[in-house]
Amino acid sequence: MSAPAAHLLKSQPNAARHSERATFWLFRAATYLVLACGLGVFGTIFLKGAGTVFTAEVPFINTTFFTDAPESLYVFEFEGKKYEMGDNEFRAFKKKHPAAATVKSESYVYSSGGIFPCIVGTVLLVVGSMTIALVLGVCAAIYINEYARDGLFIRFVRLAILNLAGVPSIVFGLFGFGMFVIYFGWNVSLIAGWFTLAFMVLPVVITASEESLKAVPKGFREGSLALGATKWQTIRLNVVPYALPGILTSSILGIARVAGETAPIMFTAAYVVRDKLPWDVAKAGDLFFQGVMALPYHIYVVSSKIPQNEYTERVQYGTAFVFLLVVAFIAASSIILRNKLRSRYKW
Amino acid sequence: MRGALGVFVAESMSEPTTTAAPAAPSGFAIQKKRLRLLGLTVDDTIKAFFGGNAIVAIVVLTLITFFLMREGLGFFAQNNQSLQVYRQAGLEYVDFIRAQVDDHTALTRYLSDLRLRQLTALTEGRKLSLDEANAALAKFDEFSDTFSGTVDPMRSLLSDLTEQATAIKTKFIVSGDKKEERAQLLAEGKTAEAAAVKIEETDFAAELKPLLATLPAFKEANREFSRALTASLAGAPVPPTAELVARMERLKQLTRDYLASLPSVERSLETWDYTRPIPAWKTVSSFVFGRQWLTASFWQDWYGVIPLFVGSLMVSIVALTLAVPLGVGAAIYINQIASLREQRVIKPCIEFISAIPSVVLGFFGIAVLGQALRALSQFSWLSWVPGFPYSERLNILTAGCLLALIAVPTIFTLAEDALNNVPRALKEASFALGASRLQTIVRIIVPASLSGIISAVLLGLGRVVGETMVVLLCAGNRIAIPDFTDGLSVVTQPVHTMTGIIAQEMGEVVRGSIHYRALFVVGLVLFVLSLMINYAAQKIVRKYRISIG
Repeated sequence: MSAPAAHLLKSQPNAARHSERATFWLFRAATYLVLACGLGVFGTIFLKGAGTVFTAEVPFINTTFFTDAPESLYVFEFEGKKYEMGDNEFRAFKKKHPAAATVKSESYVYSSGGIFPCIVGTVLLVVGSMTIALVLGVCAAIYINEYARDGLFIRFVRLAILNLAGVPSIVFGLFGFGMFVIYFGWNVSLIAGWFTLAFMVLPVVITASEESLKAVPKGFREGSLALGATKWQTIRLNVVPYALPGILTSSILGIARVAGETAPIMFTAAYVVRDKLPWDVAKAGDLFFQGVMALPYHIYVVSSKIPQNEYTERVQYGTAFVFLLVVAFIAASSIILRNKLRSRYKW
Repeated sequence: MRGALGVFVAESMSEPTTTAAPAAPSGFAIQKKRLRLLGLTVDDTIKAFFGGNAIVAIVVLTLITFFLMREGLGFFAQNNQSLQVYRQAGLEYVDFIRAQVDDHTALTRYLSDLRLRQLTALTEGRKLSLDEANAALAKFDEFSDTFSGTVDPMRSLLSDLTEQATAIKTKFIVSGDKKEERAQLLAEGKTAEAAAVKIEETDFAAELKPLLATLPAFKEANREFSRALTASLAGAPVPPTAELVARMERLKQLTRDYLASLPSVERSLETWDYTRPIPAWKTVSSFVFGRQWLTASFWQDWYGVIPLFVGSLMVSIVALTLAVPLGVGAAIYINQIASLREQRVIKPCIEFISAIPSVVLGFFGIAVLGQALRALSQFSWLSWVPGFPYSERLNILTAGCLLALIAVPTIFTLAEDALNNVPRALKEASFALGASRLQTIVRIIVPASLSGIISAVLLGLGRVVGETMVVLLCAGNRIAIPDFTDGLSVVTQPVHTMTGIIAQEMGEVVRGSIHYRALFVVGLVLFVLSLMINYAAQKIVRKYRISIG
């Protein structure tokens, strides 16, 4: 009782406080570990893939990687020099140097050329399936949010949406195969892939649309109804226009899902390799009934069907890099736009 | 409003009229003509249209069920037939003998393991050179040779029987194909060609006669085998160390048990009857409890879901063990501890991780993580970890780690929501009573949101079980039940999963074949599993939600 405590209420360091701090650090470590793992995956693929996609010379981007179709890569030694060539180049080389015709070469499939057909295929798949999903999803959300009264039916619908969201993607693939490919006889085609993917993202789109519709204040609807507008006029002119930006931005997350999934298109829409581009068709109607190459499936093929070495690595990491960049861009824009929108629309 | 109009109409009807016949009620002053289509107004039609879209979710769910069943349910009939042929062609009979021979092979394997241990004991314990050690083991080798040689007559008998049974099965299958060919020709109206197709009916009784006639010979061989094996045991040398002596005793005990089991094999051969029908439950149970998934074999195909199910389960357990502490911990940190600025940065980042496509993660596992983990396992200071070091690059652990990264964002987002929904009052009351922040989190916030957290974990489980590409690329794809005898080191073994098998084999099977239908049944199992997990998650949320009135 010599020196009186300067601050009577100041907290003293004690065991409880130490353990609290230690526990908090543990939680913090968990959080940052997750971030570090994510960053590790991104970083590795970015670093290794950048070598394929970018070049040291102007225009700094490896344009052939984006504009060519996949080719086999030939590695051989000729007159003491080591060459690496794509299929076409190698053939031309052999014509020019007849002595090279018998040269021993190692070949790696898909390891040269580019990924243009895959990019085209993925874009077509995403556009088609999102159109279908948005039409179905927005209409369903309008019914659920605007028309339906609470009851058995609506509870059933909600239950179905919830359960649909949990169905594994491979099951959607099987279903699409059984229904569209076999029963409807569409074979492996764009349109089969569209419907399969559309049904898969339907729950995401419905939930997003419902949230946006709910965010439109009740007053908008009541004011319109009070002025004598019909229900449909109210929805058309006073609800949907205000909800649409929200619907679209939230649905971008659905796009990321559609672009990223491989399992549903494995048996419904994707080809391992296809020489023709989708618009090389005899009739316009054939456009829908053809399989396409797709980025995610191409990654699966190049990472599982060909060996790992310095020659194949370039196309593997390059494809993964481009794909990750596309999906990350879509997802990032969705998240940023959504956050912006949340702060802008405050009724 | 409609009520008021109704009253108005009623009043106008009840007004006294001058004419005898009741006049039609005069229309309202303001009236709007409504276009009607099939008795529906435009607004009704629009409403019906939107309602139709809302039904789509239900319809899709029904269609999934329907088409999975349409393609899959035929499996059970086909499997029953396959089992029937397995019995009728005598394959089952031969498999009794095969099991007996295989058991002997297992004993031989134990013996060679014993030799390896002895060699190590001699070279490392007694510092003998390799040649000296091998010379010291000469007596053991002699014993080992006689021991494994005893089964040779049985083996040659078995291979004879295998050929016979396969021939019967082939004959039956060929005649089945011919029948189909004839039916096809008849359907096309080509009667003459159809009649030309020769069908040899398989008479199983006659075909099986030579096979069954080998029973006395088998019994004789078995007795001889039994005698030789017993005799060979007498020549067993005594191993150098006490531990190995115990192992040798164990081998002798196992051999004696094995010898005791021989008569029961003979009994089952005697009582075996090819005409006994396969009960219906057997075709289901051979799928649900079958421990073998064996396809395109020359002998008999087995479609047992257990190895795949165990594979999926093991991968999910590893993934959740990693993901639950991380996901829930991160959610608690972000929701309760982190500063506002940290929250604003980290939340979108974790959401961003969920956008990494699974196939990219799978590629990452093949290209980077598999090697990295294996290299890590080979450090000597980590050898205390069960299963380390290991040599298989792609295994449960690799796939589990990547799946954890997939599950973390799901668990994080939902758990954070649940924590967010805890009423402020609870937290404030706890603080007011003098609890510290940690006490408040552990005793108040987490218990109050536990239902939400559990359902988040369940939905994370659903995500992990249904994930395809990561397990297809990184789980190793070996179709076998992993070996649990070494405890936790099981996580370093390769497995195959339910999702992986569908993705891998669906592209190669013949449409309508039993294998094709089996894959659809696996899909059906996955579908039902996901519905159950979803249902449980919803039930838990609804039942244990705390409500603050």
